[in-house]
Amino acid sequence: MTELLHFAGIGLMIAGTAFLAMAALGVWRLPDLLSRLHVLTKADTAGVALIALGAACLAQSFAATLSLLLCTLLVALSGATTGHLIARDHVESASSQEESP
Amino acid sequence: MISDFAFLLSGAGLIGLALFRLATSADLLMRVLGLNVLAIGIAMVLLVAARGAAGTDAVPQAFILTGIVVLVGVTAALLALAERVAEARDE
Amino acid sequence: MMVFDAVLAAACLVAAAMALFARDRIAAVAAFLVMGLLIALAWLRLGAPDVALAEAAIGAGLTGALLLRSAHRIPAAPTKPLPSAQWLGAGVLSVAVGGAIVWTSMSIGAAPAYPPLVAVAVPESGVENPVTAVLLNFRAWDTLLEIAVLFAALAVVAVVKPVRPRIAPLGPLMLPFARVVLPLTILLAGHLLWQGGHAPGGAFQAGAVLAGGAIALGLSGAVRPIRWGRAGLAWLSILGLAAFAVAALAAELLTGALLGYPAGAAKAWIIAIESALTLSIAATLLLLFFGPAERH
Repeated sequence: MTELLHFAGIGLMIAGTAFLAMAALGVWRLPDLLSRLHVLTKADTAGVALIALGAACLAQSFAATLSLLLCTLLVALSGATTGHLIARDHVESASSQEESP
Repeated sequence: MISDFAFLLSGAGLIGLALFRLATSADLLMRVLGLNVLAIGIAMVLLVAARGAAGTDAVPQAFILTGIVVLVGVTAALLALAERVAEARDE
Repeated sequence: MMVFDAVLAAACLVAAAMALFARDRIAAVAAFLVMGLLIALAWLRLGAPDVALAEAAIGAGLTGALLLRSAHRIPAAPTKPLPSAQWLGAGVLSVAVGGAIVWTSMSIGAAPAYPPLVAVAVPESGVENPVTAVLLNFRAWDTLLEIAVLFAALAVVAVVKPVRPRIAPLGPLMLPFARVVLPLTILLAGHLLWQGGHAPGGAFQAGAVLAGGAIALGLSGAVRPIRWGRAGLAWLSILGLAAFAVAALAAELLTGALLGYPAGAAKAWIIAIESALTLSIAATLLLLFFGPAERH
């Protein structure tokens, strides 16, 4: 059982890291701000959640799992909110530039 | 040991980069940022020096904690002064 | 792990270079935030989790927020071409100082003198975390003065009183965010404060986290800390210094030593002082961000 959890934890961590690498690749390669935000907010949250799940499998303690859950919640919340704020600012400044000239 | 050396080089590099920026930039905001980087570099060198067989020495750690808190106060005061300077130039 | 440390050390340098040499100031502050988090990771690797926590919360988080706030208010300096002698001089200076630091650090062979002393004294200090023991017991006098410095910084900002264009609320999603995050930061601050006695944590980290949550609420536009309870916050920021000074004098009366806590009760004294400090640091940082007063 512990062996199985150990391997599951490592697998989940590798998957999470792959998600984060994908997000980094997306930010690097995608052309404009909105599509970059699109890849960043989703892949980032999923990557952190998977890594936290993997770490919980490896730690196998209730207290550690609880704090990892809290971390994931905070990352998901702040990622979504900052993504929204950046996109909103971008859209507003774009529309004000169209109106002004 | 090699890890400590890498962090020592990193700390010295941070100090060098920050000094270079402080000596060549006229932008007040970038100077405040440079001062922060300088302080982080110094803290890094101190931490590497605090490493020993029995773990990291607690006294330099307490110094650095004090330094971080003082630095945020200094940063806020400097930024307020820089804003005031900018305002005086406008007038 | 050696490869990881080397990559991490290099990444810190790259992030610092990006922060210092970025053309765009917002990009510079963003790179500074990234650098702060990498530095926190590096200090964790160097065996200093207390300092790493403080760097992540104060060094990266709050300093980044302060710089970002001021980026629009401080106009960029006109870029005059510098004489090449100045570039050369700056380059020589920085390489020389950096090289001298590496050379000096490498040539010091002596083992640090403090760890045995701290290890002997920690059991009497009332707390098990050696960093908290140094900060709040052995060298509590330094920490008292540190709080005085923080208060002095607030006084400078209050006297200078730059015209602060109102910090605009950040959009409708900020309030629900603050509604979830503020209770969590209060929980986290309490946890860090209590944990500081036996594990990484303490008043500074707790105060910074609390200030972060309160700034999120302030940015949502629901509450304007400048108008609402400015006096209360100012009193709260004096509270830490006052409580610490009163504790120092009371300890002097009881034991005859300034900040020498009565034997056996050190833990209670430390926790009481740290609780006052947490609230006070949070209030001070909040006022430093939003400005202690508005000038008309």
